[in-house]
Parts: sequence; structure tokens; C-alpha cells
Amino acid sequence: MEQAAQWYALLRSGDATESDRAAWQSWLDADPNHRRAWGYVEAVSRTFEPIHTSAAPRLAADNLWTANIRFLQRRRMITGIAMLTGSALIGWTAWRYTSLPDSLLAYTADYRTTTGEIREFTLSDGTRVWLNTATAFNEDYRTDRRVLHLMLGEILIDTASDPQRPFYVETSNGQLRALGTRFTVREEDEVTLLAVYHGRVQVRTSAGATRLIRAGQQVRFTAEGFNVPEVADVAREAWSRGMLVARNISLEEVVQELRHYRRGHLGVDPKVAGLRVFGNFPLRDTDETLALLAEALPVRIHRPMSWWVSIEPRI
Amino acid sequence: MTHQTSSLNIESIYCDHHDWLQGWLRLRLGNAADAADLAHDAFLRLIIKPAPRGLNSHGEARAYLRVMAQRMCINLWHRREIEHAWLDTLSAQPLGFAPSAERQAIVLEALHEIGAMLLELPQKAARAFLMANACQMTDKEIADELGVSTRMVRKYVTQAMLRCMQLQARHTVDDLYTHDFT
Repeated sequence: MEQAAQWYALLRSGDATESDRAAWQSWLDADPNHRRAWGYVEAVSRTFEPIHTSAAPRLAADNLWTANIRFLQRRRMITGIAMLTGSALIGWTAWRYTSLPDSLLAYTADYRTTTGEIREFTLSDGTRVWLNTATAFNEDYRTDRRVLHLMLGEILIDTASDPQRPFYVETSNGQLRALGTRFTVREEDEVTLLAVYHGRVQVRTSAGATRLIRAGQQVRFTAEGFNVPEVADVAREAWSRGMLVARNISLEEVVQELRHYRRGHLGVDPKVAGLRVFGNFPLRDTDETLALLAEALPVRIHRPMSWWVSIEPRI
Repeated sequence: MTHQTSSLNIESIYCDHHDWLQGWLRLRLGNAADAADLAHDAFLRLIIKPAPRGLNSHGEARAYLRVMAQRMCINLWHRREIEHAWLDTLSAQPLGFAPSAERQAIVLEALHEIGAMLLELPQKAARAFLMANACQMTDKEIADELGVSTRMVRKYVTQAMLRCMQLQARHTVDDLYTHDFT
């Protein structure tokens, strides 16, 4: 086996000569055991085939490498915590926290963003759509209607008028019909959040309940029914410009929002969670946002590992 | 091929521990569906490949299942990590680009297999081996990137290939062994 591995390393090095290849061939023919060992070399090499024949082998390899390193770090960390506390639970939970429920399907969607990304698109009819972090939707335009299927995340829509073709957004909980408007739709865990900034939106839940939501209103609904409509939080719309606008909201709420834009753990100490926050913060660079928070508030950012960040009282 | 029957049989292990195992997994995975899948796999594995010395008491069965479940959790997390990496790769592609679901499944499976293989190697050898195989880089290119001599690269690649061949051989033996039971 060792000889086979050496032959392999030589032949693939880029430095192999014709005579090397001839020598390898006679080695191979010399003994059935050599051929059997070479079979293993081929089997191992075959494993890599789907990668190096893919569109971006280098990127796939680099990402795989990062994933493995991250995995090793976490495994080490978790074993460490488990030993310290005598219980595996904290470690497992910590891990769970950082594995996001991205669905593979969503990544074959027509339009998508990854965690931390915000993008804007103009569709064929002139409708503008902003995708918030970790969002995916499909476009289904037909002659008699325009439909967007929101699969994941949040979109802000500024519809272009087309009297011949009504505009719909479909979510897991129901269907929204836009009546000349600007509005955001966000898929939360089990709930869809609709906030209307201009015009009106007619909502029909999967179970058939309907309601008209007007500009300045927002509502959460499930397939079964509606929550009470509230006043739309205009500041939230600022994400489409890459900004988090905080007007007297708690640090806890800011953190909850930032979590959507980051991978890994972001925690806040209960002692400072209630601090009030004012200001505009960049969503595209949440590390910068954390640094700004640390300047403005009596807190410090504790970062034992790149994926584990917690906000603590400044000592 | 038969095994000791003095130990507990699988039915009684299943009845006494399945619910516990599923609960244990749910707590760690935070997801009932994954927990049910893994619990199912754990018992399947126990049927296909019983504990080498049998399980002679319920305490022993539980300890055995716990270790097995822990490994499966870690394996699942590794898989998730790799899925993430693949999603990152996909989302860096131009928007129109979307390989077929079938193709994706093949690539993902390969990535997982390779990822698991690399974990068994010393880090530098693993890195060199990955570049050599997935990116088809020459020794010179790898050496430049890693800042080592081409002689070292050759050594890493040989070492890594040998280790992977051994793993491959072991799996082949395992497969033969498990096929006896099915």
C-alpha cells in the first residue's frame, strides 16, 4: 500500500516523466497485490471527482476546509465545556445555537441572499425588491398575474403598477395582494409579518381568512388567522438601506435584530439587556455595530472565539 | 454468522430505551424530526451491527446507546457544517447558476465523505491532500501556497493517501461484515 501511495504522489505531482509512468506500469503489472493496492488509490481519488469537476472546485475546497476547521474548534470547545461543567448539555446547546436552519432548497431560488447580506433587485416589470439577510424567493410572472413566492427571510417590495396583472406574494401562511404599494413581508418561525408603508395589502390566510392592511399598519398572521394589527415600525424599513435605526429600543432588541445578520452565537448579559439604545448602525458590518455599541454604552464586547460573542457590562 | 443470545434482545432494548433516547437527542438537537431520525438510525445500527460483547443489562444498553448517539450527533453536526460550506459555495455563484438537485446531492455526499476523511489526517497533510485532489494543483503550486518545500508536499500527499487507503480498506471490510446480517 505504501508503494502505491508513493507512486500516486509522484504521478500526480506535475513532475512525473514518461519513464516514471513506464516504471509505474511495470510495478503495477509485477504483482496482483500491487494492482489491488492501486485499486484503493483509485477509490480514494474517485471520492474527489464530484468536486474537481464542479464549477468552482477551489471555492468548494476552501469552504470545506473552513467547515472542517470550524467543526474541530467547536468539537474541542464543547468537549472542554462538558468537562468543566460535568454535563454535556451546555456544550450541545451552544452548538445548536450556531447551526442555522437554512434550507438547501432555498438556495436554488431565483433570488437569494446569505446571512449578513442585503441586496436590491429590479424585476422585469420595474418592481423593486430588497432582500434582507438570509432570504430567498422565486419569481412567477404570468400573463394575468405576477407572483413572488417568499421561501425564507424578508423582502421589501415597491411594486410597479400594472392594472392588467395584479401583484401577489405567497408565503407559507397565505397570500398577499398588493394594491399599489410599498410593504415588507417577513417569514418568522411559524408566522408571517406584514408591514405596509404605502397603499394597502389584502391578506388571505391559507385557511381563507381575509383582512385589509393599510399604510402605517403591520400584522402577524399564521395559516389560521390574524394577530391584532399594530402601528408599523417605520424605522425597521431602514434595513433596505443597510441601516439599523434604533430609537429608544432595548439592547436586547438590538441584539435580536443583529442575530439575523450573523452566524454564530451573539449573547447579551441580562444586566445590560435593558439599556436603551439610540443611533444608526450598519447592518452589513455587524462587528462595526458591536464596536459602536461598546463606545456608546457601558458595555464591552467579549469574543472568546470568532463565532462566540457576548455583550457584557464594562468593568 | 450468529452472536451471543445470553444478552438482551433488541426488542426489549428498543421498548425500554427508545423513548428515552429520542428525548435525549431532542434535547441536544433541539429538533424533534432530527431526533426521531437519529434514534431510528441508532437502533437500525444496533440490529445490523450489535455490540461486540452483547448488552447484558439495561444500564449497559443505555450507556452504549448514549455513546452511539453522541457520535451520531457529532457526525450530524459535521454534516451540517459541511452543508453550510456548500451553501456558501453555491451562493457565491452567479445568480442563474443552480446545479440540479441530484448533482447537488452527489457533491454534498462527496464533500461529507472527504470532510470526514480529512479529519483523520494531520492538518497540513489534509490541506495539501485537499488541494492536490479537489483542485488538481501541482506540488509546486501547493508548496507555494503552503510555504513549504515541494519535498514536504510530496511527503504530505503520500502520507495522506496511505491513510485514506487504509480507511477505505477498513470500510470495505466493514461492508462485508454488515452484509452478512442483511
